[in-house]
Amino acid sequence: MKKDGTQAVLRRHAEEQFAEELAALAKQDDRQRPPNWKLSPWGVAHYILGGKLDRGIEITPKYIGNRRLVEIAIATLATDRALLLLGVPGTAKTWLSEHLAAAISGDSTLLVQGTAGTAEETIRYGWNYALLLAKGPSREALVPSPVMRAMQEGKIARVEELTRIPADVQDTLITILSEKTLPIPELDDEVQAVKGFNVIATANNRDRGVNELSSALRRRFNTVILPTPATADEEVSIVKTRVEALGRALELPGDAPPVEEIRRIVAIFRELRDGKTTDGKTKLKSPSGSMSTAEAISVVNSGLALAAHFGDGKLRAGDVASGLTGAIVKDPVQDAIVWKEYLETVVKEREGWSDLYRACRETL
Amino acid sequence: MPDVFRVFGVRHHGPGSARSLRAALEAYEPDAVLIEGPPDANSALPLAAQDEMKPPLALLVYVPDEPQRAVFYPFAAFSPEWVAIRHGLSRKIPVRFMDLPQIHCLGSEKPPANETQFNAPPLVGEPSPPNGQEAEIWQDPLGLLAQVAGFEDGERWWDHLVESRRDEKGAVFDAITDAMAVLREDQNPAGPRRDEARERQREAFMRKTIRAAIAEGHQRIAIVCGAWHAPALLDVEKKGSAAADNALLKGLPKVKTAVAWTPWSYDRLSFRSGYGAGVASPAYYDLLWKYEQHVAIHWLTRAARLIRKQDLDASSAHIIEAVRLAEALAALRGRPQPGLDELVEAALAVLCSGNEAPLQLIRRKLIIGDRLGSVPEDAPATPLQQNLLALQKRLRLPATADEQDYDLDLRKPLDLERSRLLHRLNLLNVRWGDQREERGKKGTFHEFWRLAWKPEFVIELIAAGRWGNTVEAAASAFAGDRALHADSLGTLVALLDDALLADLPDAVGSLLAAIQQHAALGGDVLQLMDALPPLARIGRYGNVRQTDVAIILSVVEGLLTRVCVGISAAAGSLDDDAARQMFARINGIHDSIGLLQNDAQRDQWLAALSKLADQSGLNALVAGRAVRLLHDAGFWQHEEVGRRLSLALSTGNDPAHAAGWIEGFLSGSGALLIHDEPIWSLVDNWLSDLGPDHFATVLPLLRRTFATFHAPERRQLGERVKSRSGGAPVGSAPSDEFDYERADAVLPLLAKILGVQYPSAGSAQ
Repeated sequence: MKKDGTQAVLRRHAEEQFAEELAALAKQDDRQRPPNWKLSPWGVAHYILGGKLDRGIEITPKYIGNRRLVEIAIATLATDRALLLLGVPGTAKTWLSEHLAAAISGDSTLLVQGTAGTAEETIRYGWNYALLLAKGPSREALVPSPVMRAMQEGKIARVEELTRIPADVQDTLITILSEKTLPIPELDDEVQAVKGFNVIATANNRDRGVNELSSALRRRFNTVILPTPATADEEVSIVKTRVEALGRALELPGDAPPVEEIRRIVAIFRELRDGKTTDGKTKLKSPSGSMSTAEAISVVNSGLALAAHFGDGKLRAGDVASGLTGAIVKDPVQDAIVWKEYLETVVKEREGWSDLYRACRETL
Repeated sequence: MPDVFRVFGVRHHGPGSARSLRAALEAYEPDAVLIEGPPDANSALPLAAQDEMKPPLALLVYVPDEPQRAVFYPFAAFSPEWVAIRHGLSRKIPVRFMDLPQIHCLGSEKPPANETQFNAPPLVGEPSPPNGQEAEIWQDPLGLLAQVAGFEDGERWWDHLVESRRDEKGAVFDAITDAMAVLREDQNPAGPRRDEARERQREAFMRKTIRAAIAEGHQRIAIVCGAWHAPALLDVEKKGSAAADNALLKGLPKVKTAVAWTPWSYDRLSFRSGYGAGVASPAYYDLLWKYEQHVAIHWLTRAARLIRKQDLDASSAHIIEAVRLAEALAALRGRPQPGLDELVEAALAVLCSGNEAPLQLIRRKLIIGDRLGSVPEDAPATPLQQNLLALQKRLRLPATADEQDYDLDLRKPLDLERSRLLHRLNLLNVRWGDQREERGKKGTFHEFWRLAWKPEFVIELIAAGRWGNTVEAAASAFAGDRALHADSLGTLVALLDDALLADLPDAVGSLLAAIQQHAALGGDVLQLMDALPPLARIGRYGNVRQTDVAIILSVVEGLLTRVCVGISAAAGSLDDDAARQMFARINGIHDSIGLLQNDAQRDQWLAALSKLADQSGLNALVAGRAVRLLHDAGFWQHEEVGRRLSLALSTGNDPAHAAGWIEGFLSGSGALLIHDEPIWSLVDNWLSDLGPDHFATVLPLLRRTFATFHAPERRQLGERVKSRSGGAPVGSAPSDEFDYERADAVLPLLAKILGVQYPSAGSAQ
């Protein structure tokens, strides 16, 4: 991939990073596209799940996992129903929503980050108060929200962490999703959504009940629950792909991480998450964190950085140990016990893991 | 292609095949129909014309002497075979089965080792696969072709095929036959087919049947068989084939078979169960059969209504969105119409909000389904089956596949009869009803049952048929037979319990006789003691069921007399483990005596107990218990009990013996110790007089006894120890001459035994 003017940017948007793939797909995709979609649903699925095109263009897989879930998500957006992606933290909800928006609208930037302080203006529109005072209410004085812009341009708007938004603010979405209009009573006007507009929301179903969706709003969404990776091999391949991509973006020197090391980290994450060892023989305590794939990725990544800058460039047990401890021990008392128990009962006994055991003991 | 017959290769239980077959048969207008199925059942075929025959049904072919050796041929409304049968019968043309008769198949089979396992083909006419999961090509060749063509469900592919060849009725069958011919050529003759010889025999017999039909002069014969066999049936008229077929069929073993129609269920048709027919989604197929168009709308509407019944949101708007999503998914996957996969996924995303739990319900009701077929009452069946049918009708207990709960009030005649029927069936191993405990409603006149009819009960019923022609007679005779072969009193008593619940006077009579005989001959007092409490319970509570309890009470009396006579011998020289069992048995009998409320029996028992207490060499545990029971019953006064206590606990005795005695005496009730002053002081004195070595020996034994007391009792005991000098007057101990110093020395230890805190100062004054 060439580095041009955007080279200074730490992380590029999906539609920029994969611009070549999107262009190639658009060229070959001769299936029917829903209005204002850059690709057909088939093309979007191909972009997300990866595969080979004619003339040898390789599309990298963006989401590794259940194909059916991705298909449900795309079909949902094609029926102009809003899509709600649920899952525990680190199951690629945001990742998937970004790539869906990039593939469908060519624009993944129309984003509302949900927080406890998210106000109605963030979802509807705000005012440029200087202009408002000078000229009175007018379209010029209006500051459109990402959702409003998506409606005007017929694109996908993304709402992150929907359940963190206060319930009354959430409900602003109801009119937008059912009537596909956004009334502006101050101007006696409205914005009507152009075809192609839709909303992808993500929410965390681990700390549910933060601000549970009202049933009226829930009814407007089709829900897809993203699971943690089904098999260890799948998870290893996710971590490997992502670490390599991130390493490239961060320009880390040194070698690519050995698969065995990734396999080991993924095994630790999976065992602690499931509360039992892979062979199913030993029961384990689970730590309070979600032990997601995303965290496994960041453990490998920080290990790589350590190895590159302070080591010999090869990822070793010592480089991942502190990252592992940091990812697992979220609660200094409870989780430390869990991690220690795991180290003493599982890691210590396992063949070929003694380096990891020693390294992790040092960090505790 | 010969004109006198035409082969229709179908997919077993395929609604698509069935629909095409119906249209094709109407166009072809055959004058005879031959169907892949057991010719043994030809005599039962005309029944299928009756309107009361409601599929799913199964033809049961069994060996009359050994009903466990049986084969089921299930039919659903959407089975092409069923469609063919109905078509032929409604036009009054000959309908015949043409597969290899079961007289040969069952005849050559070895009787199965396990009674409950028998050979049931997964598909009509297709013998079961060697392993439930591995589907071989011959099982569902059309499903395989569909998969190759990118369809997940063979039915959808069939529809697709038919739709693309709408011009000519039935042309699809010729195409199928051609396709199968190619598939069969590819198949390695020595390949994975499991029973090559049997397959060839079957096809030979089919050809033989076709030849016979041609010889009879039929001009248009419709032949319906599994697609796989279709090409093999075309070369009927090849030269020399008849002779070859006859040679193949020579000398097959034979066995007598009988046939019956029996109701079947969708659950049994599905792959989930052992007798399944390999249809993964019968309820969905049913819908496909019923509605040619808009299957998605019908299915999702049902799903929404089902979910709504569970108090979950599912509005019409939800259904609309779900249908749209299913269609969009199908379009995304390049399918002409949404299939079951798309429907389930749409239901999950829209109706269930991604939650898998409600999906289980949908799977049970709308994919597998709980439909149960029915046969008319006059259908040939064993007399026992007919009797049960009549009873079910009279008692308003319909046989349904899904679970139904009944709360029977035995004071009502109808409910009482229902309960009797269920108990009788249970006795016959037809476990239709499952009796369960329910909290909240008390009283011996309530019975809670959960009923779920399983089609394979019919086998048990046929098996039970040899015991009698009515449920009552069969259960009675069966119980009587078991009584003859029972080898222990315990089994007999359990059986008697069942027989009484089932209200079988004849069986009860023979069981009681058997029990009397066992009791008289056996002479094992322990068995008698085990048998007595349940009998006493029946005798006491049997009244609710209006059973004649007098006869039981007489047996109880006989048993008790034998127990009273034999107990002293039985209780002598027991080791500690045996003594513990005897201890429990004595408690059980004592409770029974309380239940029976018969003074003569009570006196008899107490006299036996008092003799037991005096017996020398008796295990201390049993002796202590006997004294305690006699004390509770008021048979002995305080003084007498106190004397025996001090005797047993006197220093001359071995401490282990004393501790065992006190365990037997006090076990389970600290209350006596708290409130009975003389006993308290006796125990206290005994304990205080122990030497250090003796005390160390008895401490664990005492701990064992005291640990069984409830916490409040232990606390009260501790408080008494603390305040013993200032508390209630100490009866037998001379208080004025009390040696406080010595008492103080033992108190901390006693407190330790009792598990209470002993304040070091103050309270001892």
